[in-house]
Amino acid sequence: MAGKLNPILVNSLVAAFCGLMLMWFSYAFQYPARAAADKINSMLYYPELPARELRFLVQAADHWMAERKSLQERARMLEQENIALRTALQRSGVSPPQSVPGLLGASVTLRYPDAWWKEIRVDKGSLQGVMTGAPVLSDGFMIGRVSRIGENYAWIELVTSSTFLLAAVVVDTWDLGVINGDDIGNIWLMYMPPGKEFSNDMLVSTALVGDYLPPGIPLGLIAGPGETKDGLTPFRVASGARLTQLYNVQILLSSNEEGNSS
Amino acid sequence: MISLAVIWLLQDLAQVLSMGVLLVPDFFLLTVAYGIVSGPLGKERISLWIWLAFAGGILWDFRWAVTPGISGLVNSLSVFAVYTAWAGTPVSGRGVWLFALLAGMAHLFSGMAHYITWAAASQAAVRMFFVQQLLGIPALAVACAVYLLRLNGSNV
Repeated sequence: MAGKLNPILVNSLVAAFCGLMLMWFSYAFQYPARAAADKINSMLYYPELPARELRFLVQAADHWMAERKSLQERARMLEQENIALRTALQRSGVSPPQSVPGLLGASVTLRYPDAWWKEIRVDKGSLQGVMTGAPVLSDGFMIGRVSRIGENYAWIELVTSSTFLLAAVVVDTWDLGVINGDDIGNIWLMYMPPGKEFSNDMLVSTALVGDYLPPGIPLGLIAGPGETKDGLTPFRVASGARLTQLYNVQILLSSNEEGNSS
Repeated sequence: MISLAVIWLLQDLAQVLSMGVLLVPDFFLLTVAYGIVSGPLGKERISLWIWLAFAGGILWDFRWAVTPGISGLVNSLSVFAVYTAWAGTPVSGRGVWLFALLAGMAHLFSGMAHYITWAAASQAAVRMFFVQQLLGIPALAVACAVYLLRLNGSNV
């Protein structure tokens, strides 16, 4: 009977029984099982070392990548916060537009970078009494004049625009010239008679041109001669207004409009 | 036998690398299944394979602190089942598809046995079980390819 037993089946059953016994043994006697596990682990310590080191390397790289991503995200947030704070700080230093009799306060709503020295847009228009050609002031100095208007907006041609031409007078000497810009931030007093010399800080103001533009509005101060061409020497005029930081301006209302509004 | 030891060690190294992420497929058991079907079905040879599978399983249990004995038990029963099915099939029916079926079933049985004996059957454990079985498919494909290569080599 025993000779007829399949040895493969017997071996399988014995192996399975050994497995079961081992399960029971390791459950009943935990210490020897743990000791055996420790022994095998210590035997495999060196063969497994490269894989373990590689795993640590991968984990370190993964952590580094995650930390880098987190730091980049944080830097981006701080940058945005910084920009917002800078903007808020800048705005807090700007006083709201002031309107006084004859002068209409207006806020600058648009200034294109590619036309930075040519024109600006303000939030007042024909409904508020703004008229084409009206002078526009900032800090008491003329910085341009109204070139186009809508109902609630107006475009101002700046004195630094190359298309800006306006008769002006040097107050101290009564010499007449023409104010003209160069599109790069300079104001020039053109067409002065040959041989004229002006000292710096002489005031230049508007000359009598017409009803819409009264004389005597300050344009700036003489800041030195320019290059002589065709026998004529232009003089640079430094505006009293901060032309690089125009937030609020004042538009001169015509006397008729002023009378209507009052 | 040396190649079997190498496969066991490779599986161990793969598990070290992916520890805490996934369970590697049971390359060792697939290799044993391949060893059973790729040679003569003599009693001594198959008995030796059974004990090799048992020993590899026991070592795995002690190394990875699962219930000691479970892998030995599962491996020996799996090998016996593979042998019985393979030997019971006529020679004309023995081919790569039958090998794939038997080895795949053995791998699935081994994975399920380990899953059942885990202390906490959580969602993560289920996911790890399925990932292990899915990763076992390419391993099984490689075993089948090796089997086919050997088959073609022996026919020449």
